[in-house]
Amino acid sequence: MIKFTRRNLFSAAAGAAATAALPFDHSVRAATPAAGKQAAGWYRYKIGTIEVTVATDGVARFKMAEDHVINIKKDVVNAALAEVFMEKDMMTTPYNPICINTGSKLAVVDTGTGEANYEKSNGVGGQFITNLVASGIDRAAVDTVIISHYHGDHINGLLMADNSLTYPNAEILVPTPEHKYWMDDGEMGRAEKGRIEGNFKNVRRVFNAEVLKRVKTYEWGKEVIPGVTAQGTPGHTPGHTSYVIASGSDTVYVQSDVTHVPFLFVRHPDWHAFYDQDADMAEVTRRKVYDMLVADKMRVQGFHYPFPSLAHVEKYGTGYRELPVVWNPTI
Amino acid sequence: MMQLTRRKLFAGAAAVTASTAFMPLMGRSALASAPAAGKQAAAFYRYKVGSYECTSINDGAVSFPMPDTFVKNIPKDQALAAAEAAYMPKGKVTVPFNPQIINTGSKLVLIDTGYGPGIAPSVGLLPAGMAAAGIDPKAIDVVVRSHLHPDHINGLKTADGKVAFPNAEIMAPSQDWAFWMSDENMAKAQDNVMMKNYFANTRKILSDVAGKMTKYDWGKEVAPGITALATPGHTPGHTSFAVASGSSKILIQSDVTNIPEFFLRNPDWHVAYDIDPVKAAETRHKFYDMAAAEKAMVVGFHFQFPSIGYVEKAGTGYRLIPVAWNPTI
Repeated sequence: MIKFTRRNLFSAAAGAAATAALPFDHSVRAATPAAGKQAAGWYRYKIGTIEVTVATDGVARFKMAEDHVINIKKDVVNAALAEVFMEKDMMTTPYNPICINTGSKLAVVDTGTGEANYEKSNGVGGQFITNLVASGIDRAAVDTVIISHYHGDHINGLLMADNSLTYPNAEILVPTPEHKYWMDDGEMGRAEKGRIEGNFKNVRRVFNAEVLKRVKTYEWGKEVIPGVTAQGTPGHTPGHTSYVIASGSDTVYVQSDVTHVPFLFVRHPDWHAFYDQDADMAEVTRRKVYDMLVADKMRVQGFHYPFPSLAHVEKYGTGYRELPVVWNPTI
Repeated sequence: MMQLTRRKLFAGAAAVTASTAFMPLMGRSALASAPAAGKQAAAFYRYKVGSYECTSINDGAVSFPMPDTFVKNIPKDQALAAAEAAYMPKGKVTVPFNPQIINTGSKLVLIDTGYGPGIAPSVGLLPAGMAAAGIDPKAIDVVVRSHLHPDHINGLKTADGKVAFPNAEIMAPSQDWAFWMSDENMAKAQDNVMMKNYFANTRKILSDVAGKMTKYDWGKEVAPGITALATPGHTPGHTSFAVASGSSKILIQSDVTNIPEFFLRNPDWHVAYDIDPVKAAETRHKFYDMAAAEKAMVVGFHFQFPSIGYVEKAGTGYRLIPVAWNPTI
């Protein structure tokens, strides 16, 4: 057998390319053009009788800031990226909202970056509605939108590019403490210049009169819709919320942004993403949630996990590691 | 914040369900409830290797009760523990199947064909995946088999026994062809049910195309930029492929391992399907040592869809780092 070395491997390839004696060019048919298009990103699974559709909004790719992880040096972060064979100095952040059909309710949980971002990002992000349609779900049929927190990648999809309502027939259910915080003019006045101030402005832009007409607040510890219980997981934002979806004996934990990308913040729960508004509280929350997920062997649906963003987690080193579920060809 | 324990969680949920007074929002919507879709996405995924466009297609997956000798050289308890650690269904093992299609620009090449029709509802999904990906079976120029096990060859035929890729040249590794088509080898295998069935299947699927089968040799290109690599052990002629275009390259391993949760983590475990398990283990070590050293992207027929990842050394074995789904190509 041939030895596996780079030289052998690719010199063999080069050698073969140089000889033109292969006997398979008897076809006179035209070559097939490249498709140039990715599969629509959606995936379906059941939790008891509840049907969940993950429809990816796509990703964002950007040059990583020096303080992307505020308490860790960039070269250490780069080493963590190298461990998962990702490009140095670059962040790729996936966005994965879900749609839940409980039988009585058709609910979208978080809305992605919005249709306007599709053009802005050259189609890399803002895909949620397209993928939802590919999965056979009409946005007009959505009767409930559940918002976990008020960052742009979770709320901007409430509006289409022309600022009309994405879900014209839906109630918009929001966490009481999150709504209170971001709609409070005093908090807005005291907000740190820059990112937090910008987020206040974005919240006020998105929550226009038509959106506000449909907004209802929900409480932590209670069911938001049948089978979906809200759980306070603050830190990332003051009112940041996760959910337990339960039906029959089956459960899934929809973590929202308890961690940002798993290859950094599940592995290293003590790393503080600059997105975490109260980083210490976010870390406490992270450890509690992940200890529970490990102890209960519960699946987690992670907004910033790579599509289809459903995984089990295990302890690993001083943190945790996600084990993506095997793609199920049936549901 | 509330304590995050399962007990509290569900006590909370139960209490809420019991009280009906808290949510003022249930009665308003006049929408009919949407019926469940009940349908999974057709599973295909595109990626580029240089100028080549590749499509990974999931032919499906099966979960079956773990046979006592699924891993021949370790106690079953240990194999069950590995399955449990990978969150497979209790007492079962889950094996996915992922053929690959490569458009080199001049040739449209299918590597392995999946199970074909009639095995189980959860497999034989290659035609559906190809349809969803917009690939016409008639447009396939070359069908290359890595080896001649049923999950790699049976999809050559449609339910009515016709060749599913009517315009394709059909290629098989010389050494596997010689092994499986030998009547002498078949006669020797009659007391081994698995092998007996495999021999019979090879003839059932391939007899009528035997005349037009192209046999290929290791170390040579089977199509432009796609080189056959000798990785014997799993079967005598088992083959992997290096796909190279521009400065990019990947390794399509075929069955150097069956499921990575078992045999990449534990390369010395012998899966029941390896015909020469010692040689297969030796091949595994060589292949993954190279893949890890080269940081090569590896595509695995039995990896979980989209079945693409990188290999790192971990303990006495290796671990697969799956690539993150790219929403564009």
